[in-house]
Amino acid sequence: MNDSRGDIVYRMARPETLKIVHLDSFTAVFHRASGITHLVTSPVPEILAALGEAGMTRADLMARLSVDYVLGDAEEGSLDARLEELVATGLVAVA
Amino acid sequence: MNDDTPELPNTTRRRALMLGAVGAAAVVSIRPALASTAASISTCEIPVPDSGRAGSYIAADGTVVPAGTRGAFAPPGRPFKGEEVKTALAGGQLPGTNYEQSRAYTNYIRRLQSGTSGFTCFASLQMPRG
Repeated sequence: MNDSRGDIVYRMARPETLKIVHLDSFTAVFHRASGITHLVTSPVPEILAALGEAGMTRADLMARLSVDYVLGDAEEGSLDARLEELVATGLVAVA
Repeated sequence: MNDDTPELPNTTRRRALMLGAVGAAAVVSIRPALASTAASISTCEIPVPDSGRAGSYIAADGTVVPAGTRGAFAPPGRPFKGEEVKTALAGGQLPGTNYEQSRAYTNYIRRLQSGTSGFTCFASLQMPRG
């Protein structure tokens, strides 16, 4: 993959801009900044929790998730796809 | 304190987690009613800051501060077009700005709340395409 992403720090949108409600099989995330509600499934809530406000690089995120969970598919491409989705929604910011 | 924070993972017993297939989506976005107004992304405008605070400076974190505040940036001379903001949000730079300015203005735009001038334009930029 493109290694220029290695330096990018991903961080969760500020908690005060989000209203997160855990439903049975979904998590509903209301993004106050855009007024849009996102229904997300695993691994999105786990990624948001891991990133937090401090943020981390993709490599650090993968390492963190690998410690917290038994990853069934620890593939960078999959993690990139999830991060791209989250950046597109505004739930995750890049710096 | 804040019960909106995501649940922390249980570190004593590790759960299985799948990152999912590259082509599969883990996010479904529900568009609010204002999406139906179909504001044109390319032509809608976002003033920085909004007209009520015209002339105020923008700090690096996007907050609006009094004019002349040290380390903050003077407002741009014109509102930004939706298309320009979309490019900036995707990692690009706003036209006519340097890197720090662009980041400060983009941070301001990210903080836009409902009722603020430019919010509807910003919200339509957040809409998933298609």
